[in-house]
Amino acid sequence: MYAQETLKASKASKVKSLAKPKIKLSPVEPYLYLVPSFIIFITFVFYPFINTIYVSMYTTDLRGRVKDFVGLQNFIDLFNSPAFYNSITITFKFVLMIAFPSVLIAFILALLANNKLKGNRIYETMFSLPMAIASAPATAFWSMAFNQTNGIINYVLGQEIQWLTNPDYALIAVSIVTVWLSIGFNFIFLTVGLRNIPTELIESVSIDGANYLQKFRYIYLPLISPQMFVVVFINVIGSFQAFGQIKLLTEGGPGDSTNVLVYSIYQEAFKYGRFEVACAQALVLFVIMLCVTLLQFKFEKKVVHYD
Amino acid sequence: MKKLASLLLLGITTLSMLTGCSSSADQTASATSTAVDLVFWHSMSGTAGTAIDELVEQFNNSQDEITVKAEYQGAYDDALTKLKSSALGNSGPDIMQLYDIGTRWMIDSGYALVLQDLADGYDFSSIEENILEYYIVEGQVHSMPFNTSTPVLYYNKTAFEQAGLDPESPPTSLEEILEYSELLTGDGKYGFSMQVYGWFFEQFLNKMQLDYVDQGNGRDDSATQVVFDNNDGARVVFQTWKDMIDSGYVVNYGQDGTAVIESFASGNIAMTVGTTASLPTVIAYVGDAFELGVGYYPSVNADDKGGISIGGGSLWAMDKGSDVKADAAFEFIKFMVEPQSQLIWSQATGYFCVNTETYKLPEMIDFLEANPLFAVAINQLQESNNEAGAVLGVFTEARDAFEENLEKIISNELSVDEAVERLTTTVNVAIKRYNASAN
Amino acid sequence: MTKQKLTNFTLSITCLIVGLIIMFPVIYATSLSFMDSSEITQYPPKLISSSPTLDNYKEAFETVPLMRFMTNSLVMSVGITVGQIITASLAAFAFVFFEFRFKKILFLMVLSTMMIPGEVTIISNFLTISSWGWNDTLHVLIIPFMTSAMGIFLIRQYYLTVPKELLEAARIDGCTNFKFFIKILLPISTPVIASLSIYSFIGAWNQYLWPLLTINDTANRTVQIGITMLQSESASKAVILAGSIIISIPTIIAFVIGQRLLVEGMTSGAVKG
Repeated sequence: MYAQETLKASKASKVKSLAKPKIKLSPVEPYLYLVPSFIIFITFVFYPFINTIYVSMYTTDLRGRVKDFVGLQNFIDLFNSPAFYNSITITFKFVLMIAFPSVLIAFILALLANNKLKGNRIYETMFSLPMAIASAPATAFWSMAFNQTNGIINYVLGQEIQWLTNPDYALIAVSIVTVWLSIGFNFIFLTVGLRNIPTELIESVSIDGANYLQKFRYIYLPLISPQMFVVVFINVIGSFQAFGQIKLLTEGGPGDSTNVLVYSIYQEAFKYGRFEVACAQALVLFVIMLCVTLLQFKFEKKVVHYD
Repeated sequence: MKKLASLLLLGITTLSMLTGCSSSADQTASATSTAVDLVFWHSMSGTAGTAIDELVEQFNNSQDEITVKAEYQGAYDDALTKLKSSALGNSGPDIMQLYDIGTRWMIDSGYALVLQDLADGYDFSSIEENILEYYIVEGQVHSMPFNTSTPVLYYNKTAFEQAGLDPESPPTSLEEILEYSELLTGDGKYGFSMQVYGWFFEQFLNKMQLDYVDQGNGRDDSATQVVFDNNDGARVVFQTWKDMIDSGYVVNYGQDGTAVIESFASGNIAMTVGTTASLPTVIAYVGDAFELGVGYYPSVNADDKGGISIGGGSLWAMDKGSDVKADAAFEFIKFMVEPQSQLIWSQATGYFCVNTETYKLPEMIDFLEANPLFAVAINQLQESNNEAGAVLGVFTEARDAFEENLEKIISNELSVDEAVERLTTTVNVAIKRYNASAN
Repeated sequence: MTKQKLTNFTLSITCLIVGLIIMFPVIYATSLSFMDSSEITQYPPKLISSSPTLDNYKEAFETVPLMRFMTNSLVMSVGITVGQIITASLAAFAFVFFEFRFKKILFLMVLSTMMIPGEVTIISNFLTISSWGWNDTLHVLIIPFMTSAMGIFLIRQYYLTVPKELLEAARIDGCTNFKFFIKILLPISTPVIASLSIYSFIGAWNQYLWPLLTINDTANRTVQIGITMLQSESASKAVILAGSIIISIPTIIAFVIGQRLLVEGMTSGAVKG
C-alpha cells in the first residue's frame, strides 16, 4: 500500500514541481531534522565501518590491536580458503530457505484470515504470536521439540531424526525456527495489504461472477505485490544477518553445516580473536548484501504492479 | 524551530540526568568505603553461580579491608572476549576466572600477573599436586586452580545386571566398551554414547601417553606445531570413534552434552562419559530409575598406560598496575581455595576440592561416606599416572576443528585420513597465526 | 445460505487448527515447564504432566533476578522505541517535505546502514563506549540504537502518501514547518508509528550480543542474557523453559494488545491517506 501510494504521490509531486516554483526554505532547516539520526549513524555505524575496512588490511595482536599492514593479504587468504566458500554457500541456502517459505506461509495465513468470520481477531493474534517471542526463549522451546529421543516432532513423525546433530537436517531445523520467528511480522504486513484492497473492487468482480482463483490471480496478487516486495526485501536482509538462533541451537555445526557468514564472523572475532579475518569477511558479506539488494530492486520493476 | 531546539534540549537534559544519576550513585558507593574494591569476573551460572556469590559474601564479611564484587560474564568464551575489549580501556576485572585451555593465551597476552610472584611465603603443598601441575608452565605457577573436574565413565548398573554383566566392574577401554555395548543394545536402547567434544580427544591422547603439540606439549615453550598426526594419535581416536558408531551399538548425539546425559538418565544408553562436574546433575536426573555407577575414564586400547589430565578453570590475578590491588586479589584467591571454601564449593557443584586439607574435614568425610560415587572420581584424580596435559594458545579453535572433522567422519563426508590431514592443517595454520601475533 | 454457513464453519475450524499449530511450540514448552526433570525426559514424550509442579518456576526465580532483568529490558526497549520514533520521523520529514542538496546521497547512506551487519561494528562500538566510560549503564543499551534505517524508510513511505498541499495550507495559516510536523503530521501518522513501535520494541527486546558485551553488573542485565545465566551443567531444561516462559509473558501481553491496534491503525490510516 505504501509503495503503491508512494509512486502516485511522487508522480503527483513531480507534476507539481514543474508547474509551481518550490516553496522557499531556510537552507539549513532540513539538515537539522537529519542531525539526530546522523549523529547516531556516524558514531555507531559509519565510523566503525570505516574502522572495519582499516583493520581488514592489518594483522592484530593477541589483545586485538592492529599490528602490521598486510594490504589485501587477509582477503587473498579468505578466497583461498574452502571453509569460506562453504560459508558463502550455506548463507545463500539459508536465505533461500527462509525468505521464500516464510513469505509464502505468511501469505497463505493472511488469505485465510482475510474473511469476515467471528473470532477473526483471535486467529490473527494466533497467527502472528511468534513475533512476540525473542530468539533465546524460542530456541529453548524448539530445542525441546527437536530432541532426538523424546522430542515431540520425532514422536509425531515416528522417526529418529537427529535434527540438530545430522548435517543434513541441522540447516533445515535452524531454518524452521527462523521461519517461525518471522511469520508473525510478515503476516501482519500482508494482512494490512489485503485489508487495503478496496472492497468495492472485490465486490464488483464478485458480481461479475469471478471465482476465488480468479479473484486471487487478478485482484489479490497484483494489488498486494508492492507489500509482498517490501516483506521479501526485509526477510532477505534479515536472514543474511540471522545470528541468535544459530548460536544458541547449533553453534555453526554439526561439522560446518550451519556455519553461515555471520556466525563465521562472530567465531573469528570473538572465539578465535582474529579481528582482521572477521573484518575481511564482514566486508565480503556487505558486498554480497549490496548486490542482492540491487538485484532485488531491478527485479521489482519487472514483477511489482503499481497501478 | 524554537520547538525543535527545546525538544532537543529536553532530550539532552533527560540524558544527562540519566548519566548524572548513575555516576553520582557510583561516587557515593566509592566514597563510603576507603578500602580496596575488587571486581571478580567469573563464568559460573546456575547453582555454581549461587555458590560463588555465597563464597564472595563470606569473604567480604570475614574482613573489612577488601570488598569483592562478583560479576558473571557469560560462558568462558564470552568472558574472554570482554576481557580483551575492556583491557584496552583498562576497565577489566582485578580477578578473573578462566578455563584451563585459556592458560597459554593469558600468559602470552600479559594481562595477568604470575601468581607465584604474589604468593610470597604461600605454601602450595596443600593444593592437590595433580591439579596444580596443570597450571605450572615454564616452571612457574601462573594461576590458582579453583574449579577442577576430570572426565569419568557413567554407567547403568541395573542395565549391566540385566545383560548379565558384573555391575561392579565397569569397562576400562573403548575396546571393552564396544564389547559391553553389544550385550547392552536392543529394544531401541544402545550401549554407549559419547559427546562430540575435543576435550575427550585430549584425554584419549593422555591415556595413550601421546603429546598434542611439540615443545614438551607446549609446556617448555610456545608450541610451533601439532604432533598428533605423526604420533598417530588423531588417526587412532578418529578410527575407533567411527568404528564404534558404525557397529550400531553406539549412538551419536553430536555436540550437545545435555542431550547425552538426558538420554543416559532416561535409560536409552547404558554408558557414557562426562565431566565429574555433572555428577550431581546425573544423580538428580537418574533419580530412582536405576542404580548409577561411576568408573574411570576409559582408555582407547586395553594396554594404554597413561592417566587423565584435569579440566575446569582457575583464578588469575590481573595486572592493573597497582600493588595494593594485586595483594588484595591474592588474599581473595587464597580464601577461595581454603579448605572450608572448597568444601562449600565442591558440595554445591560437584567440582573437586583443590585443597587436600578439605578431605580431613569431618563434613567432607561424612559426605564422601554418604556419596561413594564421588570417591571414584577422587581416586582417579589421585592416581600417579596422570598427565599434565597440553598447553596451547589456540585450543578453542583446535577443539572446534576436531569436533567439525569428527562429525564429517561420522556423516561419511571425510575419510579418517582426510580428516587427520585437515585437522592438522587447520590447527597448524592457527598456531602460526597465533605465534605471529604474539611476537 | 446453508452452504455458506458450512464454508464458514470449515474455514473457522481450519483457522483454529492452523493457529494452534503455529502456537504449538509455546504451548508445548509451557506444558513441559510444569514437569520435573525425570518426567521431561520420558519416552514416549508426555504432553501433560501427571503431577504438575511449580518447582521449575521457583528455581528460575531463585537462581536469577528475573524481575530485575525484565525491568531492564523494558526500560531499554521503550527507550530505543521512543528514540527511533523521534529521530526517524524527523529524518523522514526532511526527506519527504524538503528539497536540499545531497538529499539522494544522504538517503542512500541511510539505506546502506541496513546492509552493514551489526556483528562487525560491535567491537569498534564497544571500544568507543568503553573510552567514554559508558559500560554498565542502561543508556549504553539505548543510545547506539536510537535511530534506524528501517524506521526512516517505513515512515518516509508513509509520508509520501500525505498530500504536499497539506504543508502548503498549513504555511498559509502561519504554521512553521516544525509546528506542522508536531501538530499535523505526527498525529496522522499514528498507524505507521504503531507498526514501527512494535518492530523496534521487539527488535530491542531481542538484542543479544551488545548487552552481553557492555553490561558486567548483574543488576543491569537484560532478559536475553539473563536466561543464559540459568543454563549450566547443573540446570534442568525444565528450569530454562520456565525462565523462558516468564520472560516471554510481557512481550506476549504487549503484543496481544498492540497487535489489534496495529492492524486496525495501519489499515484505516492507509485509507485516509
